[in-house]
Amino acid sequence: MRYPLKVALKSLWLERWINLLSILSIGVGLFILGFVGFILYNVEGLTKGAPERLTITVFLKDEIPRTDIQRVIDSVKKRAFVKSVRFISKEEALEELKEALRESAYLVEGIDENPLFASLVIRLKGDGLNKKDLDAFLASLRKEKIVDEVIFGEEVMNKLLGVITNVKIGVVVVGLLFCVAIVFICYSTVKMLFYRRKEEVEIYKLLGATKGFIRSPFLFEGLLLGLGGGIIASIGNLLVSKFLEELSNPTLPFMRYVVMPEEIVILLPLIGMTLGVVGSAIALGKIRY
Amino acid sequence: MIRFEGVTKVYDTITALRHVTFTIEKGEFVYITGPSGAGKSTLLKLIYLAERPDSGNISIAGWDYKSLKEKAVPYLRRNVGVVFQDFKLLPNKTVYDNIAITLRIRGFKEREIKERVYEALKMVNLRHKADAYPPTLSGGEQQRATIARAIVGEPTILIADEPTGNLDADNAAGIMRIFRNIHSKGTTVVFATHNRELFRNTGMRVLRLDSGNLVADEIG
Ligand SMILES: Nc1ncnc2c1ncn2[C@@H]1O[C@H](COP(=O)(O)OP(=O)(O)OP(=O)(O)O)[C@@H](O)[C@H]1O
Ligand SMILES: [Mg+2]
Repeated sequence: MRYPLKVALKSLWLERWINLLSILSIGVGLFILGFVGFILYNVEGLTKGAPERLTITVFLKDEIPRTDIQRVIDSVKKRAFVKSVRFISKEEALEELKEALRESAYLVEGIDENPLFASLVIRLKGDGLNKKDLDAFLASLRKEKIVDEVIFGEEVMNKLLGVITNVKIGVVVVGLLFCVAIVFICYSTVKMLFYRRKEEVEIYKLLGATKGFIRSPFLFEGLLLGLGGGIIASIGNLLVSKFLEELSNPTLPFMRYVVMPEEIVILLPLIGMTLGVVGSAIALGKIRY
Repeated sequence: MIRFEGVTKVYDTITALRHVTFTIEKGEFVYITGPSGAGKSTLLKLIYLAERPDSGNISIAGWDYKSLKEKAVPYLRRNVGVVFQDFKLLPNKTVYDNIAITLRIRGFKEREIKERVYEALKMVNLRHKADAYPPTLSGGEQQRATIARAIVGEPTILIADEPTGNLDADNAAGIMRIFRNIHSKGTTVVFATHNRELFRNTGMRVLRLDSGNLVADEIG
Protein backbone atom coordinates (compact mmCIF):
# COMPACT_ATOMS: atom_id res chain seq x y z
CA MET A 1 0.00 0.00 0.00
CA ARG A 2 2.85 2.39 0.81
CA TYR A 3 4.76 1.83 -2.42
CA PRO A 4 1.95 2.64 -4.91
CA LEU A 5 1.12 5.74 -2.89
CA LYS A 6 4.74 6.83 -3.10
CA VAL A 7 4.78 6.22 -6.86
CA ALA A 8 1.53 8.15 -7.23
CA LEU A 9 2.83 11.13 -5.26
CA LYS A 10 6.05 11.15 -7.23
CA SER A 11 4.21 11.01 -10.54
CA LEU A 12 1.87 13.79 -9.43
CA TRP A 13 4.90 15.89 -8.58
CA LEU A 14 6.71 15.14 -11.84
CA GLU A 15 3.72 16.37 -13.84
CA ARG A 16 2.81 18.99 -11.28
CA TRP A 17 1.58 21.73 -13.63
CA ILE A 18 -0.80 19.52 -15.55
CA ASN A 19 -1.97 17.94 -12.31
CA LEU A 20 -2.43 21.32 -10.67
CA LEU A 21 -4.59 22.34 -13.60
CA SER A 22 -6.65 19.16 -13.24
CA ILE A 23 -7.03 19.65 -9.49
CA LEU A 24 -8.18 23.24 -10.06
CA SER A 25 -10.68 22.14 -12.73
CA ILE A 26 -11.97 19.40 -10.44
CA GLY A 27 -12.06 21.96 -7.64
CA VAL A 28 -14.19 24.32 -9.71
CA GLY A 29 -16.49 21.47 -10.74
CA LEU A 30 -16.91 20.28 -7.17
CA PHE A 31 -17.35 23.85 -5.96
CA ILE A 32 -20.27 24.32 -8.33
CA LEU A 33 -21.58 20.90 -7.31
CA GLY A 34 -21.37 22.01 -3.69
CA PHE A 35 -23.00 25.34 -4.48
CA VAL A 36 -25.84 23.62 -6.29
CA GLY A 37 -26.27 21.36 -3.25
CA PHE A 38 -26.26 24.45 -1.10
CA ILE A 39 -29.06 25.97 -3.20
CA LEU A 40 -31.08 22.76 -2.92
CA TYR A 41 -30.56 22.68 0.83
CA ASN A 42 -31.76 26.24 1.22
CA VAL A 43 -34.71 25.87 -1.14
CA GLU A 44 -35.78 22.89 0.96
CA GLY A 45 -35.36 24.94 4.10
CA LEU A 46 -37.26 27.87 2.65
CA THR A 47 -40.19 25.91 1.36
CA LYS A 48 -40.46 23.32 4.05
CA GLY A 49 -42.40 25.63 6.36
CA ALA A 50 -44.49 27.19 3.64
CA PRO A 51 -47.38 24.73 3.43
CA GLU A 52 -47.70 24.79 7.21
CA ARG A 53 -48.45 28.43 7.02
CA LEU A 54 -51.18 27.80 4.50
CA THR A 55 -54.59 26.66 5.66
CA ILE A 56 -57.58 25.29 3.83
CA THR A 57 -60.82 26.89 4.85
CA VAL A 58 -63.91 24.80 4.12
CA PHE A 59 -67.20 26.68 4.42
CA LEU A 60 -70.08 24.44 5.31
CA LYS A 61 -73.71 24.72 4.33
CA ASP A 62 -76.25 25.79 6.95
CA GLU A 63 -78.32 23.43 9.09
CA ILE A 64 -76.13 20.36 8.86
CA PRO A 65 -76.34 17.59 11.45
CA ARG A 66 -73.29 17.43 13.70
CA THR A 67 -72.76 13.75 12.79
CA ASP A 68 -72.20 14.59 9.11
CA ILE A 69 -69.65 17.20 10.07
CA GLN A 70 -67.89 14.77 12.36
CA ARG A 71 -67.74 12.21 9.55
CA VAL A 72 -65.98 14.70 7.25
CA ILE A 73 -63.60 15.74 10.04
CA ASP A 74 -62.68 12.11 10.64
CA SER A 75 -62.00 11.43 6.99
CA VAL A 76 -59.90 14.58 6.70
CA LYS A 77 -57.87 13.64 9.76
CA LYS A 78 -56.94 10.34 8.13
CA ARG A 79 -54.86 12.08 5.44
CA ALA A 80 -51.17 11.79 6.14
CA PHE A 81 -50.36 15.37 5.24
CA VAL A 82 -53.07 16.95 7.41
CA LYS A 83 -51.69 18.42 10.59
CA SER A 84 -54.92 19.51 12.26
CA VAL A 85 -58.62 20.18 11.66
CA ARG A 86 -60.63 22.69 13.62
CA PHE A 87 -64.35 23.10 13.46
CA ILE A 88 -65.66 26.65 13.81
CA SER A 89 -69.38 26.95 14.35
CA LYS A 90 -71.46 29.91 13.18
CA GLU A 91 -71.46 31.28 16.74
CA GLU A 92 -67.74 30.93 17.17
CA ALA A 93 -67.24 32.61 13.84
CA LEU A 94 -69.27 35.55 15.02
CA GLU A 95 -67.35 35.73 18.30
CA GLU A 96 -64.12 35.71 16.37
CA LEU A 97 -65.33 38.42 14.09
CA LYS A 98 -66.33 40.56 17.07
CA GLU A 99 -62.99 39.90 18.66
CA ALA A 100 -61.24 40.90 15.48
CA LEU A 101 -63.24 44.07 15.06
CA ARG A 102 -63.06 44.93 18.77
CA GLU A 103 -63.52 48.74 18.80
CA SER A 104 -65.75 48.56 15.79
CA ALA A 105 -67.77 45.72 17.30
CA TYR A 106 -70.85 47.90 17.15
CA LEU A 107 -70.91 47.18 13.45
CA VAL A 108 -72.15 43.69 14.08
CA GLU A 109 -74.07 44.52 17.25
CA GLY A 110 -77.35 45.18 15.60
CA ILE A 111 -77.53 42.06 13.53
CA ASP A 112 -79.88 39.51 14.98
CA GLU A 113 -79.47 36.78 12.42
CA ASN A 114 -75.93 35.39 12.21
CA PRO A 115 -74.82 35.91 8.59
CA LEU A 116 -71.64 33.84 8.96
CA PHE A 117 -70.97 30.24 7.99
CA ALA A 118 -69.69 27.35 10.00
CA SER A 119 -66.33 26.21 8.69
CA LEU A 120 -63.46 23.73 8.97
CA VAL A 121 -59.93 25.06 9.18
CA ILE A 122 -57.42 22.51 7.96
CA ARG A 123 -53.71 22.90 8.57
CA LEU A 124 -51.18 20.97 6.45
CA LYS A 125 -47.87 19.38 7.23
CA GLY A 126 -44.89 20.71 5.32
CA ASP A 127 -43.25 17.50 4.28
CA GLY A 128 -44.66 14.59 2.38
CA LEU A 129 -46.90 16.93 0.44
CA ASN A 130 -47.21 16.65 -3.31
CA LYS A 131 -49.35 18.39 -5.85
CA LYS A 132 -51.26 15.34 -7.02
CA ASP A 133 -52.41 14.27 -3.56
CA LEU A 134 -53.27 17.81 -2.64
CA ASP A 135 -55.40 18.30 -5.76
CA ALA A 136 -57.20 15.02 -5.16
CA PHE A 137 -57.83 16.03 -1.56
CA LEU A 138 -59.29 19.40 -2.54
CA ALA A 139 -61.49 17.79 -5.19
CA SER A 140 -62.84 15.27 -2.69
CA LEU A 141 -63.64 18.04 -0.23
CA ARG A 142 -65.57 19.94 -2.88
CA LYS A 143 -67.64 16.85 -3.67
CA GLU A 144 -68.87 16.54 -0.08
CA LYS A 145 -72.59 17.39 0.18
CA ILE A 146 -72.16 19.46 3.30
CA VAL A 147 -69.45 21.61 1.76
CA ASP A 148 -70.38 24.94 0.32
CA GLU A 149 -67.01 26.32 -0.70
CA VAL A 150 -63.35 25.50 -0.30
CA ILE A 151 -60.90 28.36 -0.07
CA PHE A 152 -57.23 27.67 -0.48
CA GLY A 153 -54.34 29.47 -2.04
CA GLU A 154 -54.10 26.79 -4.67
CA GLU A 155 -52.47 28.90 -7.28
CA VAL A 156 -49.76 29.97 -4.90
CA MET A 157 -49.32 26.47 -3.51
CA ASN A 158 -49.16 24.85 -6.93
CA LYS A 159 -46.67 27.37 -8.16
CA LEU A 160 -44.53 26.80 -5.11
CA LEU A 161 -44.65 23.03 -5.44
CA GLY A 162 -43.93 23.35 -9.15
CA VAL A 163 -40.94 25.58 -8.49
CA ILE A 164 -39.58 23.17 -5.89
CA THR A 165 -39.88 20.26 -8.30
CA ASN A 166 -38.20 22.20 -11.10
CA VAL A 167 -35.40 23.34 -8.85
CA LYS A 168 -34.84 19.77 -7.69
CA ILE A 169 -34.77 18.43 -11.27
CA GLY A 170 -32.42 21.24 -12.28
CA VAL A 171 -30.13 20.51 -9.36
CA VAL A 172 -29.97 16.81 -10.16
CA VAL A 173 -29.28 17.45 -13.87
CA VAL A 174 -26.61 20.06 -13.19
CA GLY A 175 -25.10 17.85 -10.48
CA LEU A 176 -24.90 14.85 -12.79
CA LEU A 177 -23.38 16.93 -15.58
CA PHE A 178 -20.68 18.16 -13.26
CA CYS A 179 -20.01 14.64 -11.96
CA VAL A 180 -19.54 13.45 -15.54
CA ALA A 181 -17.25 16.41 -16.24
CA ILE A 182 -15.13 15.63 -13.17
CA VAL A 183 -14.88 11.97 -14.10
CA PHE A 184 -13.78 13.05 -17.56
CA ILE A 185 -11.07 15.36 -16.21
CA CYS A 186 -9.67 12.54 -14.06
CA TYR A 187 -9.99 10.16 -16.97
CA SER A 188 -7.97 12.29 -19.36
CA THR A 189 -5.36 13.22 -16.78
CA VAL A 190 -4.73 9.63 -15.72
CA LYS A 191 -4.84 8.47 -19.34
CA MET A 192 -2.08 10.95 -20.12
CA LEU A 193 -0.05 9.90 -17.08
CA PHE A 194 -0.50 6.28 -18.12
CA TYR A 195 0.70 6.89 -21.66
CA ARG A 196 3.75 8.73 -20.37
CA ARG A 197 4.62 5.64 -18.36
CA LYS A 198 3.55 3.06 -20.91
CA GLU A 199 7.09 1.78 -21.45
CA GLU A 200 7.63 1.47 -17.73
CA VAL A 201 4.38 -0.46 -17.37
CA GLU A 202 5.36 -2.84 -20.17
CA ILE A 203 8.65 -3.58 -18.41
CA TYR A 204 6.90 -4.12 -15.07
CA LYS A 205 4.63 -6.66 -16.73
CA LEU A 206 7.63 -8.59 -18.03
CA LEU A 207 9.17 -8.53 -14.56
CA GLY A 208 6.07 -10.21 -13.16
CA ALA A 209 3.89 -7.33 -11.95
CA THR A 210 0.23 -8.10 -11.32
CA LYS A 211 -2.57 -5.93 -12.68
CA GLY A 212 -3.16 -4.63 -9.18
CA PHE A 213 0.46 -3.51 -8.86
CA ILE A 214 0.24 -1.70 -12.19
CA ARG A 215 -3.14 -0.15 -11.54
CA SER A 216 -2.86 1.00 -7.95
CA PRO A 217 -0.50 3.99 -8.44
CA PHE A 218 -2.81 5.35 -11.14
CA LEU A 219 -5.90 4.81 -9.01
CA PHE A 220 -4.14 6.61 -6.17
CA GLU A 221 -3.36 9.44 -8.55
CA GLY A 222 -7.01 9.76 -9.52
CA LEU A 223 -7.98 9.59 -5.86
CA LEU A 224 -5.50 12.31 -4.90
CA LEU A 225 -6.59 14.54 -7.80
CA GLY A 226 -10.19 14.20 -6.62
CA LEU A 227 -9.21 14.77 -3.01
CA GLY A 228 -7.26 17.90 -3.92
CA GLY A 229 -10.17 19.25 -5.94
CA GLY A 230 -12.56 18.38 -3.13
CA ILE A 231 -10.52 20.26 -0.56
CA ILE A 232 -10.34 23.32 -2.80
CA ALA A 233 -14.09 23.15 -3.40
CA SER A 234 -14.80 22.81 0.33
CA ILE A 235 -12.72 25.84 1.15
CA GLY A 236 -14.40 27.79 -1.65
CA ASN A 237 -17.85 26.87 -0.47
CA LEU A 238 -17.08 27.71 3.13
CA LEU A 239 -15.79 31.13 2.10
CA VAL A 240 -18.88 31.81 0.00
CA SER A 241 -21.25 30.73 2.75
CA LYS A 242 -19.38 32.89 5.27
CA PHE A 243 -19.78 35.79 2.89
CA LEU A 244 -23.50 35.12 2.44
CA GLU A 245 -23.99 34.79 6.18
CA GLU A 246 -22.40 38.17 6.71
CA LEU A 247 -24.68 39.61 4.06
CA SER A 248 -27.81 37.95 5.32
CA ASN A 249 -29.97 39.95 7.63
CA PRO A 250 -31.63 37.95 10.40
CA THR A 251 -34.59 40.31 10.37
CA LEU A 252 -35.37 39.30 6.81
CA PRO A 253 -37.12 35.97 7.20
CA PHE A 254 -35.91 34.82 3.78
CA MET A 255 -32.24 35.33 4.50
CA ARG A 256 -32.34 33.49 7.79
CA TYR A 257 -32.35 30.25 5.87
CA VAL A 258 -29.07 30.84 4.08
CA VAL A 259 -26.82 28.30 5.73
CA MET A 260 -24.15 25.90 4.51
CA PRO A 261 -24.54 22.36 5.79
CA GLU A 262 -21.34 21.45 7.60
CA GLU A 263 -21.22 17.96 6.06
CA ILE A 264 -20.16 19.56 2.80
CA VAL A 265 -16.59 19.81 4.12
CA ILE A 266 -16.35 16.03 4.21
CA LEU A 267 -18.78 15.30 1.41
CA LEU A 268 -17.02 17.20 -1.39
CA PRO A 269 -13.60 15.55 -0.89
CA LEU A 270 -15.36 12.19 -0.64
CA ILE A 271 -17.27 12.77 -3.87
CA GLY A 272 -14.04 14.01 -5.47
CA MET A 273 -12.12 10.90 -4.45
CA THR A 274 -14.88 8.60 -5.70
CA LEU A 275 -15.15 10.36 -9.05
CA GLY A 276 -11.35 10.44 -9.32
CA VAL A 277 -11.04 6.70 -8.81
CA VAL A 278 -13.90 6.04 -11.25
CA GLY A 279 -12.25 8.27 -13.87
CA SER A 280 -8.87 6.58 -13.53
CA ALA A 281 -10.38 3.09 -13.54
CA ILE A 282 -12.06 3.92 -16.86
CA ALA A 283 -8.80 5.40 -18.17
CA LEU A 284 -6.82 2.26 -17.32
CA GLY A 285 -9.38 -0.02 -18.92
CA LYS A 286 -8.55 -3.67 -19.19
CA ILE A 287 -4.89 -4.48 -18.60
CA ARG A 288 -3.52 -7.49 -20.44
CA TYR A 289 -0.34 -9.34 -19.61
CA MET B 1 11.81 -27.48 -16.87
CA ILE B 2 11.18 -26.08 -20.38
CA ARG B 3 9.42 -28.10 -23.04
CA PHE B 4 8.50 -27.01 -26.59
CA GLU B 5 6.26 -29.30 -28.63
CA GLY B 6 5.85 -28.48 -32.32
CA VAL B 7 5.85 -24.75 -31.58
CA THR B 8 5.21 -22.40 -34.49
CA LYS B 9 5.26 -18.61 -34.29
CA VAL B 10 4.25 -16.43 -37.21
CA TYR B 11 4.64 -12.64 -37.47
CA ASP B 12 2.36 -11.40 -40.24
CA THR B 13 4.09 -13.10 -43.19
CA ILE B 14 7.33 -14.21 -41.49
CA THR B 15 7.47 -17.59 -39.80
CA ALA B 16 9.89 -16.84 -36.95
CA LEU B 17 9.74 -20.41 -35.57
CA ARG B 18 8.57 -23.51 -37.40
CA HIS B 19 7.47 -26.63 -35.55
CA VAL B 20 10.19 -26.46 -32.91
CA THR B 21 10.45 -29.30 -30.39
CA PHE B 22 12.98 -29.65 -27.53
CA THR B 23 13.23 -30.14 -23.80
CA ILE B 24 15.55 -28.42 -21.33
CA GLU B 25 16.00 -30.12 -17.96
CA LYS B 26 16.29 -28.43 -14.61
CA GLY B 27 19.80 -27.12 -13.94
CA GLU B 28 20.94 -27.30 -17.57
CA PHE B 29 22.94 -24.56 -19.31
CA VAL B 30 21.76 -24.35 -22.90
CA TYR B 31 22.98 -22.07 -25.67
CA ILE B 32 20.61 -21.00 -28.43
CA THR B 33 22.50 -19.99 -31.53
CA GLY B 34 21.97 -19.17 -35.18
CA PRO B 35 22.38 -16.25 -37.56
CA SER B 36 20.59 -12.95 -37.13
CA GLY B 37 16.86 -13.35 -37.73
CA ALA B 38 16.98 -17.09 -37.07
CA GLY B 39 14.37 -16.82 -34.31
CA LYS B 40 16.50 -16.85 -31.14
CA SER B 41 14.79 -13.88 -29.48
CA THR B 42 11.39 -15.19 -30.52
CA LEU B 43 12.10 -18.52 -28.83
CA LEU B 44 13.09 -16.75 -25.61
CA LYS B 45 10.06 -14.44 -25.74
CA LEU B 46 7.85 -17.49 -25.87
CA ILE B 47 9.49 -18.74 -22.67
CA TYR B 48 8.82 -15.56 -20.71
CA LEU B 49 5.37 -15.18 -22.29
CA ALA B 50 6.05 -11.92 -24.10
CA GLU B 51 4.76 -13.74 -27.18
CA ARG B 52 2.15 -16.49 -27.61
CA PRO B 53 2.67 -19.47 -29.93
CA ASP B 54 0.42 -19.82 -32.96
CA SER B 55 0.44 -23.59 -32.62
CA GLY B 56 2.09 -26.28 -30.57
CA ASN B 57 2.44 -26.34 -26.80
CA ILE B 58 4.91 -24.94 -24.31
CA SER B 59 5.37 -26.01 -20.73
CA ILE B 60 7.53 -24.07 -18.29
CA ALA B 61 8.39 -24.99 -14.69
CA GLY B 62 5.44 -27.34 -14.65
CA TRP B 63 3.00 -24.77 -16.01
CA ASP B 64 1.29 -25.84 -19.19
CA TYR B 65 0.87 -22.91 -21.52
CA LYS B 66 -2.49 -24.08 -22.89
CA SER B 67 -4.15 -24.40 -19.50
CA LEU B 68 -2.40 -21.39 -18.01
CA LYS B 69 -4.84 -18.85 -16.59
CA GLU B 70 -4.27 -15.17 -17.37
CA LYS B 71 -4.03 -14.52 -13.64
CA ALA B 72 -1.08 -16.90 -13.29
CA VAL B 73 1.07 -15.12 -15.89
CA PRO B 74 2.81 -12.70 -13.48
CA TYR B 75 3.62 -15.51 -11.06
CA LEU B 76 5.12 -17.62 -13.84
CA ARG B 77 7.21 -14.66 -14.98
CA ARG B 78 8.62 -14.29 -11.47
CA ASN B 79 10.23 -17.71 -11.94
CA VAL B 80 11.96 -16.51 -15.09
CA GLY B 81 14.70 -13.88 -14.91
CA VAL B 82 15.36 -12.21 -18.26
CA VAL B 83 18.37 -10.32 -19.60
CA PHE B 84 16.75 -8.50 -22.52
CA GLN B 85 18.64 -7.95 -25.74
CA ASP B 86 17.69 -4.26 -25.59
CA PHE B 87 18.23 -4.07 -21.78
CA LYS B 88 14.88 -2.42 -21.02
CA LEU B 89 16.35 -0.33 -18.21
CA LEU B 90 14.30 2.70 -17.15
CA PRO B 91 16.44 5.77 -17.95
CA ASN B 92 14.86 7.98 -15.28
CA LYS B 93 15.45 5.56 -12.41
CA THR B 94 18.74 4.80 -10.72
CA VAL B 95 20.43 1.44 -11.21
CA TYR B 96 19.36 0.59 -7.66
CA ASP B 97 15.68 1.35 -8.35
CA ASN B 98 15.78 -0.45 -11.69
CA ILE B 99 16.83 -3.60 -9.88
CA ALA B 100 14.71 -3.05 -6.77
CA ILE B 101 11.49 -2.87 -8.78
CA THR B 102 11.71 -6.62 -9.41
CA LEU B 103 11.40 -7.19 -5.67
CA ARG B 104 8.86 -4.42 -5.05
CA ILE B 105 6.63 -6.15 -7.55
CA ARG B 106 6.93 -9.26 -5.36
CA GLY B 107 6.01 -7.26 -2.26
CA PHE B 108 9.36 -7.46 -0.45
CA LYS B 109 10.11 -5.12 2.46
CA GLU B 110 12.48 -2.25 1.62
CA ARG B 111 15.06 -3.52 4.12
CA GLU B 112 15.31 -6.88 2.47
CA ILE B 113 15.22 -5.29 -0.97
CA LYS B 114 18.27 -3.22 -0.07
CA GLU B 115 20.18 -6.27 1.10
CA ARG B 116 19.37 -8.30 -2.00
CA VAL B 117 19.92 -5.50 -4.52
CA TYR B 118 23.41 -4.79 -3.15
CA GLU B 119 24.19 -8.48 -3.19
CA ALA B 120 23.13 -8.74 -6.86
CA LEU B 121 25.14 -5.61 -7.69
CA LYS B 122 28.17 -7.13 -6.02
CA MET B 123 27.81 -10.28 -8.13
CA VAL B 124 28.02 -8.22 -11.32
CA ASN B 125 30.64 -5.91 -9.84
CA LEU B 126 28.51 -2.77 -10.11
CA ARG B 127 28.03 -1.68 -6.49
CA HIS B 128 29.72 1.63 -7.11
CA LYS B 129 27.13 2.51 -9.76
CA ALA B 130 24.03 1.93 -7.62
CA ASP B 131 23.01 5.59 -7.71
CA ALA B 132 23.88 6.20 -11.34
CA TYR B 133 21.26 6.54 -14.08
CA PRO B 134 21.48 3.99 -16.94
CA PRO B 135 22.16 6.52 -19.71
CA THR B 136 25.38 7.51 -17.91
CA LEU B 137 26.65 3.90 -17.90
CA SER B 138 28.84 2.20 -20.48
CA GLY B 139 27.36 -0.60 -22.60
CA GLY B 140 29.02 -3.27 -20.47
CA GLU B 141 27.77 -1.64 -17.25
CA GLN B 142 24.21 -1.45 -18.58
CA GLN B 143 24.52 -5.08 -19.55
CA ARG B 144 25.58 -6.01 -16.01
CA ALA B 145 22.82 -3.88 -14.46
CA THR B 146 20.34 -5.84 -16.57
CA ILE B 147 21.86 -9.10 -15.37
CA ALA B 148 21.61 -7.95 -11.75
CA ARG B 149 17.93 -7.20 -12.26
CA ALA B 150 17.39 -10.65 -13.79
CA ILE B 151 19.04 -12.53 -10.93
CA VAL B 152 17.93 -10.45 -7.93
CA GLY B 153 14.64 -12.34 -7.68
CA GLU B 154 16.50 -15.69 -7.58
CA PRO B 155 14.58 -17.15 -10.55
CA THR B 156 14.58 -20.86 -11.32
CA ILE B 157 15.19 -20.07 -14.98
CA LEU B 158 17.57 -17.38 -16.23
CA ILE B 159 17.18 -16.28 -19.80
CA ALA B 160 19.75 -14.14 -21.57
CA ASP B 161 19.40 -12.65 -25.04
CA GLU B 162 22.82 -11.74 -26.46
CA PRO B 163 24.13 -10.54 -23.09
CA THR B 164 27.61 -10.16 -24.55
CA GLY B 165 26.63 -8.47 -27.79
CA ASN B 166 28.85 -5.48 -28.62
CA LEU B 167 31.21 -6.23 -25.73
CA ASP B 168 34.97 -6.66 -25.97
CA ALA B 169 36.42 -10.09 -25.17
CA ASP B 170 37.39 -9.19 -21.59
CA ASN B 171 33.95 -7.87 -20.72
CA ALA B 172 32.33 -10.84 -22.42
CA ALA B 173 34.48 -13.24 -20.42
CA GLY B 174 33.49 -11.43 -17.20
CA ILE B 175 29.83 -11.80 -18.04
CA MET B 176 30.27 -15.49 -18.89
CA ARG B 177 31.80 -15.99 -15.44
CA ILE B 178 28.70 -14.42 -13.84
CA PHE B 179 26.43 -16.79 -15.74
CA ARG B 180 28.49 -19.87 -14.88
CA ASN B 181 28.45 -18.77 -11.26
CA ILE B 182 24.65 -18.49 -11.25
CA HIS B 183 24.35 -21.79 -13.08
CA SER B 184 26.53 -23.47 -10.49
CA LYS B 185 23.90 -22.55 -7.88
CA GLY B 186 21.34 -24.70 -9.68
CA THR B 187 19.64 -22.17 -11.93
CA THR B 188 18.56 -23.32 -15.38
CA VAL B 189 20.19 -21.00 -17.94
CA VAL B 190 19.09 -20.39 -21.53
CA PHE B 191 21.62 -18.24 -23.32
CA ALA B 192 21.10 -16.91 -26.85
CA THR B 193 24.13 -15.80 -28.84
CA HIS B 194 25.39 -15.78 -32.39
CA ASN B 195 28.99 -15.82 -31.08
CA ARG B 196 30.37 -19.35 -31.45
CA GLU B 197 33.46 -18.47 -29.41
CA LEU B 198 31.32 -18.41 -26.28
CA PHE B 199 30.34 -22.07 -26.38
CA ARG B 200 33.14 -23.66 -28.38
CA ASN B 201 34.68 -26.48 -26.38
CA THR B 202 32.56 -25.78 -23.30
CA GLY B 203 30.88 -29.16 -23.46
CA MET B 204 27.54 -27.40 -23.02
CA ARG B 205 24.42 -28.12 -25.00
CA VAL B 206 23.78 -25.94 -28.06
CA LEU B 207 20.46 -25.58 -29.95
CA ARG B 208 21.04 -24.24 -33.43
CA LEU B 209 18.29 -22.32 -35.25
CA ASP B 210 18.17 -21.36 -38.89
CA SER B 211 15.30 -19.42 -40.47
CA GLY B 212 12.97 -20.56 -37.70
CA ASN B 213 13.90 -24.24 -37.89
CA LEU B 214 15.68 -26.10 -35.13
CA VAL B 215 18.54 -27.57 -37.21
CA ALA B 216 20.86 -28.99 -34.56
CA ASP B 217 20.91 -30.07 -30.92
CA GLU B 218 24.59 -30.67 -30.15
CA ILE B 219 27.40 -30.31 -27.64
CA GLY B 220 29.61 -27.24 -28.03
N1 LIG C 1 7.38 -8.14 -33.56
C1 LIG C 1 7.72 -8.61 -34.75
N2 LIG C 1 6.96 -8.35 -35.84
C2 LIG C 1 7.27 -8.83 -37.05
N3 LIG C 1 8.32 -9.59 -37.29
C3 LIG C 1 9.13 -9.91 -36.26
C4 LIG C 1 8.87 -9.43 -34.95
N4 LIG C 1 9.84 -9.91 -34.12
C5 LIG C 1 10.65 -10.64 -34.89
N5 LIG C 1 10.24 -10.66 -36.17
C6 LIG C 1 10.88 -11.36 -37.27
O1 LIG C 1 11.02 -12.72 -36.89
C7 LIG C 1 12.26 -13.24 -37.30
C8 LIG C 1 13.04 -13.76 -36.11
O2 LIG C 1 13.36 -12.68 -35.26
P1 LIG C 1 14.21 -12.83 -33.94
O3 LIG C 1 14.22 -11.52 -33.25
O4 LIG C 1 13.68 -13.99 -33.17
O5 LIG C 1 15.64 -13.16 -34.50
P2 LIG C 1 17.02 -13.37 -33.72
O6 LIG C 1 17.46 -14.75 -34.01
O7 LIG C 1 16.84 -12.99 -32.31
O8 LIG C 1 17.95 -12.33 -34.45
P3 LIG C 1 19.15 -11.42 -33.81
O9 LIG C 1 20.34 -12.32 -33.71
O10 LIG C 1 19.35 -10.37 -34.84
O11 LIG C 1 18.68 -10.91 -32.52
C9 LIG C 1 12.98 -12.10 -38.01
O12 LIG C 1 12.83 -12.26 -39.40
C10 LIG C 1 12.26 -10.85 -37.54
O13 LIG C 1 12.27 -9.89 -38.56
MG1 LIG D 1 17.51 -11.49 -31.10
